[in-house]
Amino acid sequence: MALHKSVHKSGQVEITFNWIYVLIAGVVILLFFIGIVFKQKAASEEKLAGDVVRILESVFTAGGVSEKTKNFIDTSGLADYTLYFRCQEGAGEFGIVNNPARIENTINPVFAPSELQTKKLIIWSLPYSLPYKVTDFLFITSINTKYLVLGDGNGFADEFMDATEGFTRERVTFTDLQNINPGAIYHLRIIDLEGVISSLTPIPENLARARTLTAVSFRGDTVYYYQKNTDNEWEELNSNSLVSIISLGGERDAAKYAAIFAADAESYQCNMQKAFRRLRYVTEVYAEKLRELETHYTQQPLPAGECLAYINGFTNNLVRSVDLQMAYAKLCETTFASCSELLRSASDIKTINNEMRRQCIPLY
Amino acid sequence: MRKVRITTSKGQSHMTETIAILFIFFVLVFFGILFYYKYSQVSLKQEKEELLGKRAIETTLKALFLPELICSNGEAEPEDNCVDMLKVRHANVTFRLHNQTYFDLLSYSKISIYKVYPESEIKEPFVLYDKPKPDWEKKEATYFVLTLRDELQGQDNYGFGYIKVEVYS
Repeated sequence: MALHKSVHKSGQVEITFNWIYVLIAGVVILLFFIGIVFKQKAASEEKLAGDVVRILESVFTAGGVSEKTKNFIDTSGLADYTLYFRCQEGAGEFGIVNNPARIENTINPVFAPSELQTKKLIIWSLPYSLPYKVTDFLFITSINTKYLVLGDGNGFADEFMDATEGFTRERVTFTDLQNINPGAIYHLRIIDLEGVISSLTPIPENLARARTLTAVSFRGDTVYYYQKNTDNEWEELNSNSLVSIISLGGERDAAKYAAIFAADAESYQCNMQKAFRRLRYVTEVYAEKLRELETHYTQQPLPAGECLAYINGFTNNLVRSVDLQMAYAKLCETTFASCSELLRSASDIKTINNEMRRQCIPLY
Repeated sequence: MRKVRITTSKGQSHMTETIAILFIFFVLVFFGILFYYKYSQVSLKQEKEELLGKRAIETTLKALFLPELICSNGEAEPEDNCVDMLKVRHANVTFRLHNQTYFDLLSYSKISIYKVYPESEIKEPFVLYDKPKPDWEKKEATYFVLTLRDELQGQDNYGFGYIKVEVYS
């Protein structure tokens, strides 16, 4: 009887032990699979973000090489992601906020707001020439980024409205600003062509409600960037760096449009640095082409005399101007303030080249 | 005494059963991991191939529109699918001199221009850029037809050729 009771007790202990064992083993197995699921989820999210960034890079590459094209890209699948664009010390970067997936770019100038969250991206490229083509500027914006064009800017406002068909933009007067409703706009940017916006001037209450409010103000060839401060006043961004537009002007002036689409002065200068570095390399190739032309015309009898004079004879000749262009481009890479010299050499090259086109082989 | 022996033998069989279950469980987990590893390897290889193809297209696209090579036309738009031989003959020096910048642009690749017409005695292509990847396993070539402008041979003198872009992985 005593033995029976002991066996019964041991059986009870065994059953309890078995259940505890099954429970522990079950929990361990469950945790193992839950762990795998979480790891897999994190890995696939990271992979998806990487794929998105890579696809965007391909889109930007294609957009960058196809000159003067505008692409409207449906990104409704990415509406929950915030894309960011940065440029520091000549190196650009874009990616997804709070995600390690990113792409660095030290070559192509990309002008974009610092952050975008949208269902439709707009990509536009314009060639930057000084005076020959240096590179294509890529402008990235979105359908929910609104541009308010303030003033006329000697006809530039009309040109801008004409060039940016399909963008979210509106021409406004200073008084209109009091009645603008930002609504669901992610980023509101004022393009001040009259230079009326200045530091610490108050922002109309209705505009101050915008999620992100910035302004770019043109005064002559100088550009100032502003953002809204906590007291709902305009605050100048990067006030210690003077931003000048380095271009030969004309319609569809890539450098001017770049200033409109750039996030701030730092980003603008950083991307322009890339352009000046490329200008130096492209000029090196043109300098070699010029040497070959010089040799060609030296070996030619008359009437090649004038062609040779354009290259190395006249006071303003191509050899001199191209050498200066190379030197100024190098200087400009580091000191943005000294870039205005570049315009003189570029203008000289353009004038001589136009003369040469009549009877000689032009440089470009 | 007999009863205790029976209980011990029952316990032993339980233990063996548990060990067998654990063994089968770990065998299954092992096979699962092995299967997943093999699957990952295959998909990684596929992804690598896809990326190589994509890079080949992108590099070709970039090479075709390089301002260092393209036929300029004053202030007008450059001529599409045309390279200026006066620039091509010297661009390789610039590419070599600033190899870091051009590596960022063209990565591990080789870009050559072949002249088809007019025929010349020199059959060798112009190698503009050549940066093979150390220990490369695979390379993919893309070809694109080009016109070759050489103004030293006369105004509006156009030849015919193709660009070959090889990318390494």
